[in-house]
Amino acid sequence: MILYTIMPEHFIFQVDSDEYTKQKVVYYDGIPFLVQETETKEWEIVRNLSTNPAHFLEQKYAPGARFPLSMAATS
Amino acid sequence: MEKKQYIPFESEEPQEEKQEQAATNIQQLGQTNIPQMTQDTNIHCLTIIGQIEGHIQLPPQNKATKYEHVIPQIVAIEQNPNIEGLLVILNTVGGDVEAGLAIAEMLASLSKPTVSIVLGGGHSIGVPIAVSCDYSFITETATMTIHPVRLTGLVIGVPQTFEYLDKMQERVVRFVTKHSKITEEKFKELMFSKGNLTRDIGTNVVGPDAVQYGLIDEVGGVAQALQKLRQLIEWKKEGGTMLQ
Repeated sequence: MILYTIMPEHFIFQVDSDEYTKQKVVYYDGIPFLVQETETKEWEIVRNLSTNPAHFLEQKYAPGARFPLSMAATS
Repeated sequence: MEKKQYIPFESEEPQEEKQEQAATNIQQLGQTNIPQMTQDTNIHCLTIIGQIEGHIQLPPQNKATKYEHVIPQIVAIEQNPNIEGLLVILNTVGGDVEAGLAIAEMLASLSKPTVSIVLGGGHSIGVPIAVSCDYSFITETATMTIHPVRLTGLVIGVPQTFEYLDKMQERVVRFVTKHSKITEEKFKELMFSKGNLTRDIGTNVVGPDAVQYGLIDEVGGVAQALQKLRQLIEWKKEGGTMLQ
């Protein structure tokens, strides 16, 4: 099937609403992170949202790093 | 020289812990060592990447810059006395006009020195964000697509919709011409020119051309951008006021 349209993909193939709840913004050590929950009940960092370049040099704040659910604060 | 700096760090850690850490690093990051930096930095860096998300939340697989993240960060940067300058890094395809203009206005009204650098692409609504900073850089290979405002997938039903879009476009044009050296005539010429983009109107401006048109101040990379930012910080300390 070839779909030729100027409509954005997400308008045509609507994503399941569960997809939106998978990722969340939480604060860990006062730094905002975009995270997703793993099977092991931990947060896995998807994106570091900090503007401080020093936070990107810490290995525990790198994408893929995990931290316990209890360590995350919502603000 | 750099290697020497990291050696004391490694030797300080107990051997066992180091091995364990290295194992998790390989597992999670595919790499063994990332240098540690604890001291506070006076220059913060804001990345405008992927699509600029508007009022509709994009599915999580999209890489998006969300204004509800960026705007509080800009407020925090304005308030934090330890932060003296902001480097804005752009690699964006564009996105929501209102959200993009909101970010651009926030950056333009920041009292601290700001320098932007376009890497890869600063397309569409990325253009006002790039020019909103006090000084702008573009890398040699980066491009910026200038095109008219459009509604993706929605149909213009009444002439009033068209007029509304025209007014929205006028805001973008006014912002860009106010914050950069490009003239309104030139910007509109690039915006409505035919034959540059396949079956579309607009122009894809490459790094040095963007500088030639006056849209961006200089061609350069991260070293030049940081040097300029430090210069602006010094200048501000000596009592200079930010112009833009």
